[in-house]
Amino acid sequence: MGVKYLRVVNRDRCIGCFSCMYACSRMVRNSMGSGKASMRVRSYAGLEGAFSIRVCARCAHPDCASACPTGALITAPGGGVRLDKDLCISCKTCVKACAISALQWDEEEKQPLPCIHCGQCVRYCPNDVLALVEDGGTEATPS
Amino acid sequence: MNASILYVDLTSGQSRVERDEALFREFMGGTAVATELLFRHGDPKGDALAPEAPVIFAIGPFNALLPVATKTVSLFMSPLSGELGESHAGGRLSMALRDAGIDALVITGRAKAPSYLTIENETVAVKSAATFWGQSALATDRILREAESRSGRKVSILRIGPAGERLSPIACATVDGSRHFGRLGLGAVLGSKNLKAIVASGTRTPPIARPKEYKAVYDTLYDRVVRSKEMKKYHDLGTSSNIVPLSLIRGLPTRNFTQGHFEGAEAISGERFAKDFLVQHTACAHCQCGCIHMAELREEFAPYHYSTNRISYDYELLYAMGSMLSLSNPEDILRLLLFTEKQGWDVISLGGTLAWATESFLRGTLSADATEGLTLSFGDGATYMAVLERIARGQGEFYRDLERGSAWCSEKWGGTDWAIHYGRVEPGGYMTGENFAVTSLMGVRHSHLDDSGYSADQKLLNAPKPVEDQVKDQVRDARWRMVMNSLIVCLFARGVYDETVILQGLDALGLSWDGPGLEKLGERALARKYEWKRLCGFDPEAVRMPEKMYSVQTSTGMIGRESLARRLALYREHTGLQDGKTPR
Ligand code: SF4
Ligand code: SF4
Repeated sequence: MGVKYLRVVNRDRCIGCFSCMYACSRMVRNSMGSGKASMRVRSYAGLEGAFSIRVCARCAHPDCASACPTGALITAPGGGVRLDKDLCISCKTCVKACAISALQWDEEEKQPLPCIHCGQCVRYCPNDVLALVEDGGTEATPS
Repeated sequence: MNASILYVDLTSGQSRVERDEALFREFMGGTAVATELLFRHGDPKGDALAPEAPVIFAIGPFNALLPVATKTVSLFMSPLSGELGESHAGGRLSMALRDAGIDALVITGRAKAPSYLTIENETVAVKSAATFWGQSALATDRILREAESRSGRKVSILRIGPAGERLSPIACATVDGSRHFGRLGLGAVLGSKNLKAIVASGTRTPPIARPKEYKAVYDTLYDRVVRSKEMKKYHDLGTSSNIVPLSLIRGLPTRNFTQGHFEGAEAISGERFAKDFLVQHTACAHCQCGCIHMAELREEFAPYHYSTNRISYDYELLYAMGSMLSLSNPEDILRLLLFTEKQGWDVISLGGTLAWATESFLRGTLSADATEGLTLSFGDGATYMAVLERIARGQGEFYRDLERGSAWCSEKWGGTDWAIHYGRVEPGGYMTGENFAVTSLMGVRHSHLDDSGYSADQKLLNAPKPVEDQVKDQVRDARWRMVMNSLIVCLFARGVYDETVILQGLDALGLSWDGPGLEKLGERALARKYEWKRLCGFDPEAVRMPEKMYSVQTSTGMIGRESLARRLALYREHTGLQDGKTPR
């Protein structure tokens, strides 16, 4: 089976329900709020219904990993990162290095929350905004 | 649940958090808990706009944890009805309160100067709103969403518009994108406290007693919400899908409840709006249904120059600003709705008051002197817009009065017989018959949402039912809604939340309830509200129909004085309100 990539395929169908964020927190982190999600749905003031969904791009050469001063973020096969918790010094440099603000921060643990491209958020999106795709081309991600 | 109650005193600027596990164990949360807090902190004889009058917000055990458990309840003394003020709103507020670890919020006092309140976990601050006092409800949201943004975190913003600042008893409080504590004048109460807005957010996640069971209940509900027929109607056309069917059965109030058939129904139908104006659906936080329908209004303000605004619409709004005023041009309606949204009025009360004014003018009880030259006519959208502008500017005595609601206006300007209000509250958009009349007269918040009376009337068209059974059903439903409103689940999801799944959910959260316990909660919460209403002066024996309603046709025919009186007596009997007794 090929590498799967989480992608935003229908940004303009998003209703801003945050079901995806709750799903990621709940199913991946076993946390019942939405704060531990590895992605974000952003909304913009005054523009009803303008949502921007930021998901991990699963970069082959991730900026977050390059920025990490201790090497705590390890580039995974097929792109994206995983975290070596013991190496993380909670400096938040990685989160700042992600230009699309996809990499999220765990406010409790003070560590990043890298996406594992598992697709739980996809399962709980009522509007097919998100998808897991085999071809990871970022052109498919107009977030 | 944390069972945490945040108390904020705006006079001193002090706040504190108290835990009251016994209260939440006994009354669950939401509306039942808020009612008890009102008993503790409120004065049923007090002035709604006095500094000491409390405003209470509460959420329940399901909020932000299960699909479509999105509502926050607010209780206060209503400046409109003079008794129980209760209003519910969605948006992101219940999520934000949950994230902050707060189950109830009690606000008292009056800030010395225009202020707003920020709540971030346990950190509470009262900040100056001097620079944006006077701004519209929409602008205030834009301003605060930037000023109070928290990186990557969801913030909820509740605010009042200029109507609330002017202490209009029909002012609402707006939450996030187009959700409202609409009814009964919360906007004025916040205005009287010099409180322009509340911004809430947090980073907490509640621990779950039984995560495996919780996830299973979640999945059951998720599938029902996304797939069930019950929620599909809200998800697709939305409540405005009712415009045409209700008009067909003569149940859509038209021209101040003169008739229930609106010749312009097709033109303002959900279908029409979807075809020509709907641009997007949005949702309250953690609602996968997404019933918020956004229309786009594009207007040419100069040759080849356009302004574009997005305005939410639904059945009640199209009734109040559409059929009630005989407006069948969607653009007229959207323009009025946008202005209303900015000012922060309750659309239902405002539409009802405009309809009363129009009928008064047409009958000649209201002179052109009083209206200072404006000629009110049903169907005249441009004049209605001019009326709203005058109200907003406070231009002229009559216009300053209009934002006090139809009861107040008719007592001063005449026309009480055709001022359509129940306990001083303008009704929802139903002209279906006696069940709805009972809902409006006896419902604890005089709201169409107190029980399913309007739907019971419609069902009678196909299947007759003994009157006593109808009334019993209404009471049963009113009590069950107390449970829904204590959890707090959006009433649009009442079809997907049955007792079994509710008990499974409570169990997964480690809360021990059973069927009889829920039933008792509903019964008690309703009784406690009637007890409060009585203390405020509500007399269940003395409720009065608007006179006009005895002389118009509803879906189920004329409303009879005797038959209605009989229903009311049955309602009092089945709620235990008979003979001046307060139910226990
Ligand atoms: S793919 Fe999995 S880890 Fe990534 S955001 Fe979605 S649910 Fe979270
Ligand atoms: S679940 Fe889908 S529709 Fe809801 S916020 Fe996420 S992407 Fe948008």
